[in-house]
Amino acid sequence: MPNTTLEDFKALVRRAGLTLTDAQLAEIYSAWGHVEGMLARIRTPMLPREAEPSHTFKPEYF
Amino acid sequence: MDEFLTISEASRLIASRKLSPVELTQHCLARIRSLDSVLHSFIRLTEERAMSDARAAEARIMAGSARGKLDGIPIGHKDIYCTAGIATTAHSKQLQDYIPSEDATTVRKLAEAGTVLLGKLATHEFAFGGPSFDLPWPPARNPWNPDHFTSGSSSGTGAAVAAGLILGGTGSDTGGSIRGPAALCGIAGIKPTYGLCSRAGILPLSFSLDHAGPLAWTVEDCAILLQAMAGPDPADPASSGRSAPDYASALNGGVKGMRIGVVRHFHETDNKVSEGTQKGIDGAIDVLRGLGAEVREVKLPSLADYSACGFLILVTEAFALHERWLQTSLEKYGELLRDRMALGGLISGVDYVQAVRRRRELCATTAAAMKEIDVLLTASQPTEAPRIDAVPKWAILEKPGFTIPFNVTGQPAMSVCSGFGAGGLPVSIQLIGKPFEEATVFRAAHAYEQATEWRKQRPAMAKLGERSAA
Repeated sequence: MPNTTLEDFKALVRRAGLTLTDAQLAEIYSAWGHVEGMLARIRTPMLPREAEPSHTFKPEYF
Repeated sequence: MDEFLTISEASRLIASRKLSPVELTQHCLARIRSLDSVLHSFIRLTEERAMSDARAAEARIMAGSARGKLDGIPIGHKDIYCTAGIATTAHSKQLQDYIPSEDATTVRKLAEAGTVLLGKLATHEFAFGGPSFDLPWPPARNPWNPDHFTSGSSSGTGAAVAAGLILGGTGSDTGGSIRGPAALCGIAGIKPTYGLCSRAGILPLSFSLDHAGPLAWTVEDCAILLQAMAGPDPADPASSGRSAPDYASALNGGVKGMRIGVVRHFHETDNKVSEGTQKGIDGAIDVLRGLGAEVREVKLPSLADYSACGFLILVTEAFALHERWLQTSLEKYGELLRDRMALGGLISGVDYVQAVRRRRELCATTAAAMKEIDVLLTASQPTEAPRIDAVPKWAILEKPGFTIPFNVTGQPAMSVCSGFGAGGLPVSIQLIGKPFEEATVFRAAHAYEQATEWRKQRPAMAKLGERSAA
């Protein structure tokens, strides 16, 4: 079961601009707990301040 | 002519004028007519184009101006590779009528090498949803047992190669879409280093994880195809600018002294594989050690760490690409793609940046662990192919995959058949090299393949010669 409440989840869906039926929304909500686990995992342990993203660009490409 | 020919075998016969490309193309077309009503590996046959390509190849060969090992070889392209004047659908209602005006760079390069285009091959919708039963075309079926899954998303290529309908074909790999079908269909498939093969003209799924590459019956055939596909392309911002070395000359170098690192915790703890898959891995380790490789154990971050990072990047980038359609024509997507991709819209900008920061750390940790190692070895898939009607919708979330770590790091990684499981379907190993060390991966995979018997077995349903003799 996700930590996000169904009401809060509906707000996320609205922000994404998606129009879902109740059945579609319930189906996606059922998987959201897995995503929450992933979101926690990429933050554990916390990265140091200087950790750069993988796609920090090189200006010679311009 | 033998019922089944590899690219290498057909190439030698064509070069010595013992086999005509026209005859070989007709042979493949006849096989497609016999088998593809069950396998559904093709979305579109390009028979006229194929015969025209074959006649042109034959003329070149007769004139003594053959273009090389791929001249006159019948192949197919995954239907996300744009083909000028030929519909490119991504297996989706969204693009059912899309006809590109230009070839993808890799399509052009393979055509210039003399290949014969037999048609466009089934994929999971936009290389992500699947297996889906609510799209304009049915999903491809596994020739080892058509009730079973091919994996995806290069599903049509996997099925068509295994059944001997094409001699090789193209795939794309964002989380394992070349290596998965290669594994479950019992063939070979390589995801090369990120940036080695152009992605220009291939319908994208996730810009920073998408890789183009080949699938074929043998490692050697993959090397031949990759040789033609790889190389710099100004049209692809991720192109490394590197040319491919001569893979054929590296192929037979053997593994004596090669340092192979087994990532045992991936397949024994992080996502424990089936008995048949484990047996295949253990057997491969014995074979490689017997050939002179130095085998040791390597510890990497957990499979779940790579999977979380890769999945979050993938769905967020994919949602960004499909945002407009998801908001305005959601009903044109199949259920699987729609529901999986919708998750990407719910991830925040901060979440995405944390994922790409973690990605850099995972790349650095993996590189450090490989400092004294030439090739990593682990599973490619956890089991042999499940039934196609029993693949859970959220399987990609429930257990971490073995292939996505190397989309995250961008390293070359290859699936090779390592035997057969309890159900009689193929199992496989995955070999992973350092960036741009495809030649080393090919060398290890080829040595293993040559030392085993797995390439002598083809799916029973594909043996038309035996069936007609009976």
